[in-house]
Amino acid sequence: MLGLYFHIPFCASKCSYCDFYSFPGTDAQMDRYTAALCQSIKTFPPEPADTVYFGGGTPSLLGGARLTAILNAAREHFQLTRDAEITVECNPDSMNAAFLSALRTAGVNRLSIGIQSAHADELRLLGRRHTFRQAQEAILLAKEYGFDNLAVDLMCGLPGQTTEKLMYSLEQVLALHPAHLSCYGLKLEEGTPLFRTQPDLPDDDTQAEAWEALCSRLASAGFLHYEISNFCKPGRRSRHNSKYWDLSEYLGLGAAAHSFYRGERFAFPRDAGAFIGGVQPIPEEAVSGFNAREEYLMLRLRTSEGISRADYERRFGDFYPIFQTLRALEPHGLTLCSASACRLSERGFLVSNAIIRLLLQTIHS
Amino acid sequence: MNEQTNIRNFSIIAHIDHGKSTLADRILEQCEAVAQREMEEQLLDNMDLERERGITIKARAVSMDYQADDGNLYHLNLIDTPGHVDFNYEVSRSLAACEGALLVVDAAQGIEAQTLGNTYLALEHDLEVVPIINKIDLPAAEPLRAKQEIEDIIGIPAMDSPEISAKLGIHIHDVLERIVSDIPAPKGDPDAPLRALIFDSQYDPYKGVIVYMRLMDGQVAPGTRVKMMATGAEFQVIECGVMQPLGLLPTGRLSAGEVGYFTASIKNVADTRVGDTVTEAARPAETPLPGYRKAQPMVYCGIYTEDGSKYPDLRDALEKLQLNDAALSFEPESSIALGFGFRCGFLGMLHMEIIQERLEREFDLDLVTTLPSVVYKIEKTDGTEISIDNPHDYPDPAQIAEAREPFVKAAIITPQEYVGNIMPMCQERRSVFKDMKYLDSTLVELHYEMPINEIIYDFFDALKARTKGYASLDYEFCDYRTSDLVKVDLLLNGDQVDALSFIAHRDKAYGRARRICEKLKENIPRQLFEVPVQAAIGGKIIARETVKAMRKDVLAKCYGGDITRKKKLLEKQKEGKKKMRTLGTVQLPTEAFMAVLKLDEE
Repeated sequence: MLGLYFHIPFCASKCSYCDFYSFPGTDAQMDRYTAALCQSIKTFPPEPADTVYFGGGTPSLLGGARLTAILNAAREHFQLTRDAEITVECNPDSMNAAFLSALRTAGVNRLSIGIQSAHADELRLLGRRHTFRQAQEAILLAKEYGFDNLAVDLMCGLPGQTTEKLMYSLEQVLALHPAHLSCYGLKLEEGTPLFRTQPDLPDDDTQAEAWEALCSRLASAGFLHYEISNFCKPGRRSRHNSKYWDLSEYLGLGAAAHSFYRGERFAFPRDAGAFIGGVQPIPEEAVSGFNAREEYLMLRLRTSEGISRADYERRFGDFYPIFQTLRALEPHGLTLCSASACRLSERGFLVSNAIIRLLLQTIHS
Repeated sequence: MNEQTNIRNFSIIAHIDHGKSTLADRILEQCEAVAQREMEEQLLDNMDLERERGITIKARAVSMDYQADDGNLYHLNLIDTPGHVDFNYEVSRSLAACEGALLVVDAAQGIEAQTLGNTYLALEHDLEVVPIINKIDLPAAEPLRAKQEIEDIIGIPAMDSPEISAKLGIHIHDVLERIVSDIPAPKGDPDAPLRALIFDSQYDPYKGVIVYMRLMDGQVAPGTRVKMMATGAEFQVIECGVMQPLGLLPTGRLSAGEVGYFTASIKNVADTRVGDTVTEAARPAETPLPGYRKAQPMVYCGIYTEDGSKYPDLRDALEKLQLNDAALSFEPESSIALGFGFRCGFLGMLHMEIIQERLEREFDLDLVTTLPSVVYKIEKTDGTEISIDNPHDYPDPAQIAEAREPFVKAAIITPQEYVGNIMPMCQERRSVFKDMKYLDSTLVELHYEMPINEIIYDFFDALKARTKGYASLDYEFCDYRTSDLVKVDLLLNGDQVDALSFIAHRDKAYGRARRICEKLKENIPRQLFEVPVQAAIGGKIIARETVKAMRKDVLAKCYGGDITRKKKLLEKQKEGKKKMRTLGTVQLPTEAFMAVLKLDEE
């Protein structure tokens, strides 16, 4: 079933590592943008949808009223299933009581909260606008308002981040009992303030050790490692994000929003003004050497299910070359292969790029 | 045609950098053999490579006329000699074509091993050696000391030798006068059966092979049917004449004592081997001129193209080079690691480097070359004897009755303060010390018998490093000696990498194997799994390193379903991997492979 994604490009300030499309935005801009989203919804034919995701940027910056308006427009046009997963990404500093109450009323049932770290120095380095204490309070407040499906984000591979430091952040976050945790490695993107300072990142071995410690702690805390960067309590995986790895369809609306819709990949330009003006989405450029099969392998190997033989054979035919390549890595502890499916191990996840490249080489030779 | 009494045939002997080419240029200038404006620096060295390296690779010759102080017009033939030990045989043939040689000695540096070797060679051929003291313009010049050195070491009078500066054109006239007065005129018999010594040949796409020769006896003219006495090939002469600095000048007839060329639509340079004797088919000479031998490659290596699809280009290039270089041999070989290539034979290390450089420059090929090897002789238990120039062909040790490796007689000339550095270095390289001679109060000549294997491995560089570049080395093939040889194989992740196998003396195998393993470890990027790097003799592992497994290579976030960004990143990484070579289960960049193969260039 279809997933709906709304991109909210507003941020109170830019984090030092972020190269995403976002800007502060005035109330008037936010109003016009909200109206444009509601309008855009109607340009697609109605059909059932079971997930809605407000991503950004900082969707919480838009405020309860505007988010409610967009969600209502989506409900009116698309048939949202009764149990639809409706997520809003939030920053701890814009989660007040009124906002949470409004979201609850509107039917939002999942919040994704960017905490990133429990260390003041790391939060400062990342240019985050909140303290860890604010994050703790925001989560407690969200729980008070009845949100039990809370997802939190952490970042790893930060300059100066030791295993101990990452594990401390993790323990602090686990104490808040989230249902879902994502941990993303810092990538220095060209053009960002952090990139310009050229900080020393921990070497690969250090990062790998920290990561493995994190994985094993999360496992013992009852979390399933269901995607490379994502962990959840049983039954709490992100249904919306899972569509990305499942090759399910999603419709992304808003500036810089990406879609996989009716078999096509397209995106709106990174320009809120243009979006407000009613610009059409643009088909994504083809990447040479990447067809449906390559894409499938790349995305499925990110998940703990991996590649199902039956599903692969239905889509692309002979599974044996894939099996053979992945099976050869099993003795090295990188993959887990059975007659019905192949998947990456924890260690395999960490070198997934290299494994995917190897697979692509295999099928292209 | 020139009267023999007015002909002077000579060559110039000099150490690299001692000014041979510059002097040749000045002589040409004085004879006005070439107009000033056409004069390019160092005219005789035609190839770009020769000019850059300041050495002559192939022999060349040039004729010029000189109006001497005695009022006579002399016809001078300068036959250039290659300036490197690899081309010893070519040097000897060039010298055999002359009656005299100018010995150019640097007034500041004195005599060097190379010069000495070639001077002895000239004296052996009964050449009149005329010492010339060059570079007197240098502040460090000590012409008197240089003369004394010549008298002491070589034993020929040198006190009244011309003191010149070829660079500044000082006293060049004296040199020309000496050529006329000191070097004897040729004394051939123009009426005897033709005997001409081939000292060089060159392929020309329009004329076929151009044969450069010195006529000892007899005459040759267009229409003469000639026969090569060693190869037996016969040809009808189409054109003959003399070499001028800027090209060939057909003269119609050549006679005893003269230096010239002929063409005869010869397709293959191998039919006109250096050292062979040209005679008349209808009236052949009874005996050929002495000293002919076929060029024997001493060093072999595998040459491959970085891009496997360029294999046919490599073959074409080698064929073209061989047209001019009968000493270059090659035959196809294939390697699991490197694909299709050629096993090439060379006269020595310099010859090998020159061919490699020419392939890369003139034919625009990117090469991968394997470790050089010498030719080993193996006597098998079944009584047969085989020659091995490729580790790949090394027989099972159980089938070997006796293994032998080639030795050379090496002469090292060095200032005496470095003797203490050189001796242990030679000993480490399994060399047999023969004797040590004081050439004068400061200069020493050391004689060793050395395995060529050790020389090609890293000896030149080590010698340079330990003597601040002052020592010089000269060597010639000596004999084959029984040796405790082993073949060492390299294994990556348990798979043998054929292109890295090498043959070495057992005592040396361990150290070398360790170094190669270390090099491989340094240069192999981390793979998905731990890669053992091993060296083995037979089934026994003698060295081991481990390339640790890659720990982290992951794209974290999928930004709001932006799959394209991820695809692009992966594609970019994939591009970067394209230049990877797959060795068994291990991938490594070609540069890493080359770094390992060029062990000695440290």
